[in-house]
This record gives sequence, structure tokens and C-alpha cells, in this order.
Amino acid sequence: MGDEWAGRVARAERLSAQGDAASPLLAFYTLVLRWQADASASLRRSSLSGAIDRDLPSIRPVVPALLSTVAQHGPALLAAEAARLSDSSTTTLEQTLLTWWDAPSDRQFFPKAILQPYAAALAAAQIAPARRDASIRADGRCPFCAGAPQLSMLTAAGGGDGGGRQLLCATCLTAWPYRRIRCAHCGEEDERKLSYFHSPAFDHLRVDACDACARYLKTVDLTRLGLAVPLVDEVAAATLDVWARERGYEKIELNLVGL
Amino acid sequence: MEISRRGFIQGTLAAAGGVSAFGFDIVPVFAQSRTLKIARTSETRSTCPYCSVSCGVIIHTLGDKAKNAVPQVVHVEGDPDHPINRGTLCPKGASLEQDILNERRLTKPQVRRPGSDRWEDIGWDQAIDEIGRWVKKTRDATFVEKDARGRTVNRCEGIAWTGGCTDTNEFNYLVVKTMRSLGVCYLENQARL
Repeated sequence: MGDEWAGRVARAERLSAQGDAASPLLAFYTLVLRWQADASASLRRSSLSGAIDRDLPSIRPVVPALLSTVAQHGPALLAAEAARLSDSSTTTLEQTLLTWWDAPSDRQFFPKAILQPYAAALAAAQIAPARRDASIRADGRCPFCAGAPQLSMLTAAGGGDGGGRQLLCATCLTAWPYRRIRCAHCGEEDERKLSYFHSPAFDHLRVDACDACARYLKTVDLTRLGLAVPLVDEVAAATLDVWARERGYEKIELNLVGL
Repeated sequence: MEISRRGFIQGTLAAAGGVSAFGFDIVPVFAQSRTLKIARTSETRSTCPYCSVSCGVIIHTLGDKAKNAVPQVVHVEGDPDHPINRGTLCPKGASLEQDILNERRLTKPQVRRPGSDRWEDIGWDQAIDEIGRWVKKTRDATFVEKDARGRTVNRCEGIAWTGGCTDTNEFNYLVVKTMRSLGVCYLENQARL
């Protein structure tokens, strides 16, 4: 798992150095990933139970580093939030994390960024997460933690010529197989209502959109570029998010730069 | 009041929310989005027509669904969700796109006359008339009602039929019924190659 975080950091560093339109976003995301890699290493040394209220003492010590980084390098909105959380009591921070864990929202940066490494550590150790209520488990939700999909991937796994599709959980980063022609949000399978948008400028990415629910998510095609790191390349293609939003599509799950 | 191009873009961005949900400046990515050439493609499940295995395929069709735009197939791949082939295709199935889009594909009937060294285009009505006339004439001339030992065989030895590998099941059904009713024995199909 440590290698995965290192791979994400390295990919983000490489893409942010290219100096294109998304570079400022990637520069910030690189800092977040570095913190998440450190947090992940710290959590691996802890004995996690899967009950977040009991695991909070393992998470709490690493949080100030993220707050400090965001206060220094983040946009004004996040910097102010970081300052508020820094000045608040430990109870406030813990309550924020607990509330998000029970009812995740992609509009909240800090709980999502902080708890991603925790949830990923649980998934890697196969420790069932408590309080991730089975009632929110549904089609298009992560089979491990019931999180929403951040993106989808096409892989050549299994030796097939066609790209098998997987969704990547926005919370625990677990990948699970999903039907190719099916909306990850509403389950629509009518081919006339589903389509994807592709630009040569982002050859290994596409926007998978559903006209039934007007939602979309981006797909990273690893059969076109095996070097891609889906979580990072998804952020690097921020331009596609803006494009999709202008066409009236809403993203299923915002990423950690709010797109 | 004159609005500069920059002012116009900034105004548009402000209306669309020129920052991300977390307050990041997205003006540069917005500007880049204006330069993108983005094509809409739909994916349609289908079944490979070549043999009886019936592998699942996904056909990618380019087109924005506008009434004046002609949809165009741009890619065909194995359906990874199909229980028979799980995304794999044989070399013939993998070349399905070339079956759909091929400048060498015949779109009208052709005939090569006796002694000629080339094929010539003819109309459908003419083709049907000529085929009907030649089938009748040939069958009448070559029909074998009984073999040398006096057994009834009712076969037409002067006509042969060969089918193509992209013929559909329905077409092949009609071919067999028609040829057998004529007594044609030399009936073959390229599908098994």
C-alpha cells in the first residue's frame, strides 16, 4: 500500500511539472498526497479496529501537518477552514470526522482528505469499517465501505481485448468491477441515454455521462496509457470537469480539488 | 460600455463560478476547455455475426445525435461483461470494424459475363431477372431426377452456392430452404473458415 501512495505522489509531481492549465491544482494535490502517504505510513504502524471512534487517537496526531500545509498553500477558502480547525478543540475536529464518516460529503475537503488514508488502511488490512451503514450500500457504491465512486477505470485484466471496467471508491480507494454500459449513479442501462466524451488532448481519459440523471464521472483508460495513476490523472484532467459542468452534467463525486 | 474579451470571459466565469467548490481558481482550465475538440460517442452492445459462439461486442459510434449528422462506427471491441467471451474476440471478430467500414465493400450487384475479364455493375431489378432466368434454364438443363441405379435423387448439379461469413442466421435459413428446394447439393458457407 505504501508503494501505491508513493506512485501517486510521483505521478502528481511529474504531471504538475508539465506546466499546463491544471498544474496549480496538481501542485496542491501533490502536497495533499504527500501528507496522505505519511498518514498512511503512520496508520500502518497503528493497530486499527475499524471502529472510527476508537481509531481516532491514531488519526489525530497526523492531522495538524495537513492543516498547516493547507493553511500555507491552499486557496483562501480552505486556508480559512484549516485555520478554524487548528484553533478549534480536539473535540470539534473529531466530531467533524465522525459526522463525515456517518454521512460522507464530497463538499467537505478536510474529513475526506484525512479519512481517505484511514479507510484505505482498513481496506488493505480487510478490517471491516464500523458505522458505514449497510443501508447506504447500493448499486454503484463501494462493496467495502459504501463510498461513492471517484472515477472509473478501464483495464485489460483477464486477458480480454476489451477493457473491463472498475470503479474506484472515493473513500477507501478500493476498486471493484462494474458493468461497462451502466450509469454508476442511477444504474441506467439504456444505451441511448449513456455516452462518453473524449478529446485527443486527454487521450486516456473520457467523460462518461448519463442523460437520465445528468451525472458523470471520468474514466481513466489504462489500456491506452498503462503508466497513468487514475486518482492523479483524474485531477490532471480538470479541464474535462469544467467542460462537463458547462454542458449541464453534475459530477457523481467531487475530487480533492473540488472539481 | 465596451466589454473586453478578458472581461467577457471573466464575467462568464463568475456566472459559472470561476472557482472550484474548494475555492481553487479554475480560470486556466476553463480557458483550456474552450479549445478542446470533444466528440460524443455512444457504446452499443451487440453480438458478433461470424459464428455460432455469439460473442458479445461493444460498438462505439461517433455522433452527437444531431439530425443532420451521420453516426459513424469508430471502434468495435469485445464486451468484457459478456459471459461467453469476457471481452475477448477472435481475429475475425476483432476486425468487425473493417466489416462495417470498408471502401471495398460491395453495395450493388455485379456480374462477370462469360468470357469477360471484369465485373460490371448492374441494377437490382436486372440482377433478379437474370438470376431467375439463369436458375430456371440451368436447373431445367441439369436436373437429375434419378441416379444411374434408378433411385430418386431430385438434385440440381448445375448450380452451386457459397455464402459469406457475415451472412445472418435469417439469411442463411432462407438460403438453405431455397437451395434445397431447387435440389442444389453444392451448398457451402465460408463462415467456418
